[in-house]
Amino acid sequence: MTVTEPKPSYKYVGTRPVRHDGLEKVTGRARFAADLNMSGQLHGIVVRSPHAHARIVSIDTSEAEAMPGVKAVITGDDFPAVEPGHRQYDMCINVIARDKVFYEGHALAAVAASTRDQAQAAAAAVKVEYEVLPAVLTIDQALAADAPVLHAHMMTAGANPPAEEPSNISNITRFSGGELDAGFAEADLVIEREFTTQPVHQGYIEPHACVADTGQDGHTTIWCSSQGHFNVRSSTATLLGWENTRIRVIPAEIGGGFGGKTTIYLEPLAVALSAKAGRPVKMVMTRDEVFRATGPAPGTKLRIKLGVKRDGTLVAGDAYLIYTNGAYAGPGGLLGAMTVFESYKIPNFEIEALDVVINTARSAAYRAPAAPLTAYAMETMLDEIAEELGIDPIDFRIQNAVTEGDPSTMGFPFARIGFVECLEAVRDHPNYKAPLGPNQGRGIAAGYWFNIGESSSATVNLNEDGTATVVTGSPDIGGSRASMALMAAEELGIDVYDIRPVVGDTEAVGFTDVTEGSRATFATGMAVVEACRRMVVELRGRAAKMMGVEVDDIDWVDGQAVYTGSDGDKAPLSVAEITAKAKRTGGPLTATGSLEAHGAGPGFAVHVCDLEVDPETGVVRVVRYTASQDAGTAIHPSYVEGQIQGGVAQGVGWALNEEYIYDSDGVMENPSFLDYRVPVASDLPMIDAIIVEVPNPAHPYGVRGVGETGIVPPIPAVANAIYGATGCRIRDLPMSPIRVLDAITSNGGSNGA
Amino acid sequence: MAVRVHLSSNLRGPTGGIAEVEADGSTVGALIDDLDRRYPGLGDALRAGVSVVIDGLLIAHPEYEPVADGAQVYFVPQTAGG
Amino acid sequence: MSRVHVTCTINGDPAEFLCDGGQTLLDALRDEVGLTGAKEGCGTGDCGACSIVMDGRLLCSCLVLAPEAEGTTISTVEGMASGDDLHPLQQCFLEGAALQCGVCTPGFLVAAKALLDRNPEPTETEIRYGLAGNLCRCTGYDKIVRAVQAAATQITATNES
Ligand code: FES
Ligand code: FES
Repeated sequence: MTVTEPKPSYKYVGTRPVRHDGLEKVTGRARFAADLNMSGQLHGIVVRSPHAHARIVSIDTSEAEAMPGVKAVITGDDFPAVEPGHRQYDMCINVIARDKVFYEGHALAAVAASTRDQAQAAAAAVKVEYEVLPAVLTIDQALAADAPVLHAHMMTAGANPPAEEPSNISNITRFSGGELDAGFAEADLVIEREFTTQPVHQGYIEPHACVADTGQDGHTTIWCSSQGHFNVRSSTATLLGWENTRIRVIPAEIGGGFGGKTTIYLEPLAVALSAKAGRPVKMVMTRDEVFRATGPAPGTKLRIKLGVKRDGTLVAGDAYLIYTNGAYAGPGGLLGAMTVFESYKIPNFEIEALDVVINTARSAAYRAPAAPLTAYAMETMLDEIAEELGIDPIDFRIQNAVTEGDPSTMGFPFARIGFVECLEAVRDHPNYKAPLGPNQGRGIAAGYWFNIGESSSATVNLNEDGTATVVTGSPDIGGSRASMALMAAEELGIDVYDIRPVVGDTEAVGFTDVTEGSRATFATGMAVVEACRRMVVELRGRAAKMMGVEVDDIDWVDGQAVYTGSDGDKAPLSVAEITAKAKRTGGPLTATGSLEAHGAGPGFAVHVCDLEVDPETGVVRVVRYTASQDAGTAIHPSYVEGQIQGGVAQGVGWALNEEYIYDSDGVMENPSFLDYRVPVASDLPMIDAIIVEVPNPAHPYGVRGVGETGIVPPIPAVANAIYGATGCRIRDLPMSPIRVLDAITSNGGSNGA
Repeated sequence: MAVRVHLSSNLRGPTGGIAEVEADGSTVGALIDDLDRRYPGLGDALRAGVSVVIDGLLIAHPEYEPVADGAQVYFVPQTAGG
Repeated sequence: MSRVHVTCTINGDPAEFLCDGGQTLLDALRDEVGLTGAKEGCGTGDCGACSIVMDGRLLCSCLVLAPEAEGTTISTVEGMASGDDLHPLQQCFLEGAALQCGVCTPGFLVAAKALLDRNPEPTETEIRYGLAGNLCRCTGYDKIVRAVQAAATQITATNES
């Protein structure tokens, strides 16, 4: 179902062709990183710390080096030293520890051997002497006055007055507007609530993997799965102290990322092992390693106070947010601060957000980083207020929602946005009025994410037969190749199946930033459109030559050069007719587009969740779910729906089941899909995706990124629905059966409304 | 050329909390230089990971971005994503 | 360590390979036979990305030792299409956009085929429980379930005509 504003009618954009890379993927032929094998390849295994916090006293690799089949062993000493203050210091010492390990699973050495078994045996024989240090595992421990300090150089950024002593707070962010006290004085109702959440993993199904082949000439080729192969190249080069030109990165198909593959882990180790051994080295993480050493999204403690007038006008908001980013500085708190009040007009507010380090794996981005948690707090509180005031929760949100021209938390006025349209779409959907059964409840919630632009490049090559190849630098994690082909088809007037969209390696296409921030279809799409528009100029020029007329008298209409001059009739020329004569009119037809995309359009989403709570067990079953989201313009609606539905599933898992569990020494206790339970098909109903289209004025087709926003509303939508079913407000994640049951049995107790 | 510059609240330390200031310059970089002269220290804050919004358009790396006379320029923190 | 010689039938063709006694069938298929359609998402039987059918039974090949394949008949995703003709499930997955990253797709196709072979007209609930051993982190399962429904309808219609 689609809500549309009047918009230009397109021939290809907005249709649903079968994706170009689909056939390979349904026949098992698509090559993901772990599917690649090189002749003579060795297998690399990482040696990881069993301790959450320790000084490395010594590493003895001699026994491992002497073992059968072992061809190379490396430690931090095999890489150039890095000092705090280096631009990528954290990334460097995360990929391979130097003098300290900061979490259980931290890589500190690696081994390459002829077989995986041999490499594993040798990795176990690397002798490491540790001086175990007290581990900091929770926010409270990190902030305690006598807390061990993880990083002696960590001076809190943003502290006022400036920090004089190192601490575990990497960053403080403060935003404010209006007069907070005056705002609360105006309020008829003030509520204040606290929330806690645990780290969760992105849970992509494909573990990190790569193959690196370093030649005698000191050049290396890396095949790997990542959200950005140019970033793999530059980060690997930084770690090794090499020039970028020595590294070529060829993107494999990527089996999910969700932010977790925007950084690197294995590639520099594989290159260093390969350089040492003189052979290709393949490295594949186990699921256990993926859980322990990659990815988690931050855990949090959040405290929010809201003031509202009796008529439903929000007048004041005060937020104190603490995010853990694992063992290194990260942006969780900053992004939390930027999102917490962003969707609503709150004239008087103060936000303070802390980013805190603890001895767990370094956080990586996860779909709309930080926003699902601020939404959990805000949207459940809004629900409470709406109920208290006796206002419908959607009407209450519409009353306070930001619209074009309203100031954001950061001060700038919003351009055209589709928040109210998303709210209305859910209000008008049958799901919102469907009858509920016993023990069932309904929750609604909204979500917001910025989306980003950044750099992208594209090349369009017309082939001799009039078909086209579109090469971009954006790894395709969810169908973006099909979107590129659709936009190119629209611009060139070539059938979408006559266009082959390709992800080019670092030597085949211009620099392109990581596929993150929902930017591929938006920003890389802009580069494709730019390249196509240049191509059309070229095509018109060639056609003018062929017709013997002035180029100004040629228009490009529906894939054809059409003569518009007054010198009689001339038959239009198709792309194939022009490319067939390319040799005679100036040579091959190729055009590039490369740009830094401005004007990423914010995305809003509104979800309604119906669920049933088993009062005996506390088990929650989602029975109905509808999600609206502003896509600007949906280039390939099926994959927009897919992004929305996938975000919902991840958000429901986050709400109900998912969490990292550590023992008292900081060792992860649930590093498998058995114990870290992500939603399966039988946990979910159909998810009705409503695409709202309020075009982004900054994009030639009106695109807004859609990859991330869908994960923002589910947690509060589920929490609000649980309240509807049980009368219990649960303010700690996950809302697992035991917690729900506790809440039900002590209804009216600490978790009560 | 006079331009109205708005600072997101986390960037207002050097202006003593003032949200909206005047500056001269035909590019964002020139504005930052001018702001640094008027409010010592603000230049560093604005060069580190800061985006601008001009006429509703979010620009992540704005140093050489032209600014028209009378434009409204908003300095905001840079975002990241997954 | 001496290697084990295994003779079996894979996707209708006789096959032989050498493997280590402790090697999983998944590794043997991928590394010894060269069929990389089955994926390793976990190696512990929890994700279904490695699904294959052995002697008529749907299995996680990461939980089977390669020597156990001796004398068996195995089908993998690579054997689903006959020549250029895709299996209706493959066609419906494509048309219904039931894949995003696609790494789970081979496992889902094999498991869905096993389900439809057993139960040609499953309800939505039966599909959801039938595929509950397969994880997909991208799609939220909606389009996968719909694709299986569409394929079931197609297969039943063809069989009836
Ligand atoms: S790899 Fe076999 S079930 Fe996950
Ligand atoms: S499509 Fe990516 S895991 Fe299913």
